[in-house]
Amino acid sequence: MTPTTTLYVLNLAVLLAVALVGVYGVLAKKNIIKKIIALTILGDTVNTIAIYLGYRVKNNPLPPILPYLHPTQQEISVFASRAVDPIPQALVITAIVINLAVTAFLLFLAVKIYQHYGTLDYRRILEKMRR
Amino acid sequence: MSPEIALLIMLYLGLVSLAATVKAIMDRDLVKAIAYSAIQSIAYAIMYALLLAPDILIVYLAVGAGIYPVLMLYAVSKTRRYEEDGSE
Repeated sequence: MTPTTTLYVLNLAVLLAVALVGVYGVLAKKNIIKKIIALTILGDTVNTIAIYLGYRVKNNPLPPILPYLHPTQQEISVFASRAVDPIPQALVITAIVINLAVTAFLLFLAVKIYQHYGTLDYRRILEKMRR
Repeated sequence: MSPEIALLIMLYLGLVSLAATVKAIMDRDLVKAIAYSAIQSIAYAIMYALLLAPDILIVYLAVGAGIYPVLMLYAVSKTRRYEEDGSE
């Protein structure tokens, strides 16, 4: 394994570890706002992994932006052989905005739950619902 | 920038965001947890710059370090700052 491959796999492992910590936070934490924080961290980590898989390690990658108005055939072929994958970036920029809207809605629900039940611990909320 | 250097800086930023995530999940003070998650967001934003995604860097800096903490601090100001231990 070359050093570049080792670094690539190591980075992926660190990102997956962050995603695992986020899953633990969503599942095991009792406070609802803490769950929402963990959910945003999890979503951002998955977005970052998607962009990371579109990264190109070989021969000095370029950003996926064509800087010429009327490119020649040779400029296009150089761009296609060196630029990173633009499709994950286009999808992730949508996902970030959707995550923002979902988070705002969940925080609104958390504030309403607190006003109704007087607590943010989901076990105590379940107790009060059964009563 | 050569991809090896970019991957090395990214490894450092990944470890920073791992530490910030663990602190954010474990802290009982919600305001501190929000601050740690903002640190993690800034590390991810620099990561996007290294991964050659400048448009996402712009959007994510505004969303991750600006709007998320403001929304969450607003929700915390309407509710409780400290996590309950659930023993009552």
